Amino acid sequence: MLPADCSRRLVAELRDALDACAERQRQLERSLRVSRRLLRTWEPAETPAPQPTPAPETSGEAPSPESTPSSQDLKELELLTQALEKAVRVRKGISKTGERHKALSLKSGSAATSATTASAPSRPSGQASCGVSETKPPRGIQQTVVPARGLPESRLLSVGDRTCMGRGSRATKPGPGPRDQQIPPSAALQAPEAFTLKEKGADVDCWLPQPLWKPCSGLEGGSPQSAASLSTGFPDRILLRLPMAYRKAASRNSRLWAQLSSAQTSDSMDAAATAKTQFLQKMQMTSGGPGSGLSAAAVEAEVGLLRTACLLLRRRMEEVLSADPADCMQEYRCLLTLEGLQAITEQCLHRLQELRAVVGQQLGPWPVGRRPGASLPCGGGTDPLWSPQLLLYSSTQELQTLEALRLRLAMLDQQIHLEKVLMSDLLPLVGTQGPHWLARCRAVHSLLCEGGERFLTVLRDEPAD
Amino acid sequence: MGRRRRRVDRGAAVGALPEAIAALSRTLPAGPSPEIFRRAKFDRPEAAPALWQLLFRVLSPPSADSASASPAQEAQVRAVKSELRSQGYPRRALAQLPEDGSQGSRELLLALAWLLARGPLLERLLAQTRVRLGDEIPLCECEALARPGPPVPRVEADGPVDIRHLQWLMGKLRFQWRKLITSQQEQCALLGKIHSYTRGCHSDRSLGHLSVAETELLRDAEGGQQLLRRLESENVRLEAALRWRRQELVFWRWMDTVLGTCPPEASQPTFVPRIPEQGAGEWELVARELQALQEELRGAAEPRRAAWEARVGGWGPEWSAVQRASREAVGLELAALQRAWERGGAAARPHGPCRLVKSDAGASGGPGLRAAQVIEVLRSREACLEAVLCQLQRQCRQELARLAGALPGLIWILPPGR
Repeated sequence: MLPADCSRRLVAELRDALDACAERQRQLERSLRVSRRLLRTWEPAETPAPQPTPAPETSGEAPSPESTPSSQDLKELELLTQALEKAVRVRKGISKTGERHKALSLKSGSAATSATTASAPSRPSGQASCGVSETKPPRGIQQTVVPARGLPESRLLSVGDRTCMGRGSRATKPGPGPRDQQIPPSAALQAPEAFTLKEKGADVDCWLPQPLWKPCSGLEGGSPQSAASLSTGFPDRILLRLPMAYRKAASRNSRLWAQLSSAQTSDSMDAAATAKTQFLQKMQMTSGGPGSGLSAAAVEAEVGLLRTACLLLRRRMEEVLSADPADCMQEYRCLLTLEGLQAITEQCLHRLQELRAVVGQQLGPWPVGRRPGASLPCGGGTDPLWSPQLLLYSSTQELQTLEALRLRLAMLDQQIHLEKVLMSDLLPLVGTQGPHWLARCRAVHSLLCEGGERFLTVLRDEPAD
Repeated sequence: MGRRRRRVDRGAAVGALPEAIAALSRTLPAGPSPEIFRRAKFDRPEAAPALWQLLFRVLSPPSADSASASPAQEAQVRAVKSELRSQGYPRRALAQLPEDGSQGSRELLLALAWLLARGPLLERLLAQTRVRLGDEIPLCECEALARPGPPVPRVEADGPVDIRHLQWLMGKLRFQWRKLITSQQEQCALLGKIHSYTRGCHSDRSLGHLSVAETELLRDAEGGQQLLRRLESENVRLEAALRWRRQELVFWRWMDTVLGTCPPEASQPTFVPRIPEQGAGEWELVARELQALQEELRGAAEPRRAAWEARVGGWGPEWSAVQRASREAVGLELAALQRAWERGGAAARPHGPCRLVKSDAGASGGPGLRAAQVIEVLRSREACLEAVLCQLQRQCRQELARLAGALPGLIWILPPGR
């Protein structure tokens, strides 16, 4: 058994290490969930069963008109209705109107009633709406909210709206009339439920978010490719486009960051800088004379720097000691370097003592809670406005290597820190003999020298007699 | 009438001050209105709570911002006081303010100005809450380490524990790391796939493909709306920050007047000397390392010096010129070495998060780091750290061998090496 204070310290350190690791794992799991979801099929947000059969509350609607349109028409309209329902769902999801069920029931109820009327106006209304809405700029996911109530025409209008909005920015004319009617049903026939990211194939421009918009692609400037891909079903590759609103916001964002980080030097900045230093000086003076000039945070930062210093000095020393001096000159230089390093080390030690004295007298308890772990802290003096640089990688292997190395470095950092802490606490215990000394020795050896992975064996060497 | 004349006399300054303060408060998280600032100048008590809250938001570490419940008023006040004190806030009046947060608005205003004056506070705050649009990978770990994780409610081991408990914890740690590495590899594979599937979809040619956040935006319109809102609010804050930059001189002049209205403090130190407890461990470690290093250096340098003196004893004066040149050269090298840690060495290494972009290997030139280079750098650091660890373990082994050798009659069979 270990003494109590030692146990507490060591257990706390190990638990800290475990917590840090668990935190990383949590963040990683979050990212993994998101990435996995992206690579599966993208299901629409909700899937209430798109039933063209009337919902119970609308059973009161007259079913008689059902006999009027032909079965073929009905089938086509059924599919179109499903597609439209999805559109409305998405739209609802965006605009959060709560009239989903009502709309569905309305649609399902009236789909049958206005079956004939719907198909006829679809053509001209589609075209008309296209003409009208070309003036409206596409807003990506910030669509204008079309009221969900109303006739199917309005929903068809809304479809046409989005269709044309999708094309509006490209200022292409709406496709010829006859195609309007042909393509939606056939596309709706072939439109899959959900969307999957896939590897590349033929290029087809399409507006997202739903494959519903494949009809648009047919109505685009009439590329033969799109027609061909529509007939074969799901196009191999769709170029996703980020919504315009997002693109604008993102470019504005990067421009503003660039401005902010570049606006460091100018006349007004200099004047402000002098005003600031004057203010600070005045603050210092009004608080009763110059203080120690050192805050706890500054002391801690300096201790960190001295730790880096120690590391760098040691590295240099090892370089010098391992180099074979070829001639007198180099030998002399090695000697001078070693002595210089020694002088610097003494300076650092001296500074450390000073800091200790300062802390002891003036500052009260040392700031807690900041982990010292980094072997080479970068210092706080980095530019906070560092906008993300690009890191180009060429293959997944490379990325994996990079990440694995990063993790390995973090792990080594942690191990080194734990090693030092364990050393300082456990080695003295082995020095003192006591009960179970052998067992303790063995355990300490495995912890300190093998990272807890292997154990040594102790044999008692009894003289055979 | 007189007031108006004064206003006209001051001219643009009067109008500029509320604007500047408005820009400032819009940039800050939870920024109070300019009216609060004005009241604070006259030390009105109703301005105090808003300022306490602002300082708390500004001073608390970034991870705490996501915590749902902000702590009670007293806890906030205490946290602000201790943080300001640890950063070296010179005025003692702050420490004497009551903990219910009802007074001291002028002092708080001075504290805020002090923080603003010392460093790039606004920029730092903005960078902390920056909306990340790309898949970022931090090149150096200092951020991850500096941020204390969420405080986990821990059951402290009250009594002494067996060393086997420590062994168990170490094993658990090793296992966690292994799990982490496999998860990370999977994430990289997925990321690679997403990047290659979305190739050509980004409007920015230099990026070429979408990031996870952007693809998620397309998949989930609702989440995309949120992202867009965050982006836009960040844009608003950035614009406010730029406005503030242009107008802050007015603010500083006004702060001078605020400082003028404060009574000067008496100049006796009121710090109670206390014994440092916990962080002394850090200090101890560094002290011990430096001392060990000093011993080693002395052990290496002294015999060499003796040998050298013996050799060079009879050499002539032409040698002294050469000696001087060597001394200067070595002096320069060592000065450069010293600068490396005094400056923090940050400029030497790429620092900060990088946005991952998948591009063909042939893409030479153009901005951005190459993964191959970064891998090289990381490999050399890995070798360095491994050397350090090995050296520590060797030290332990020697020490244990020495202690164990004290007991005869035992054979120590070391485990087979790696």
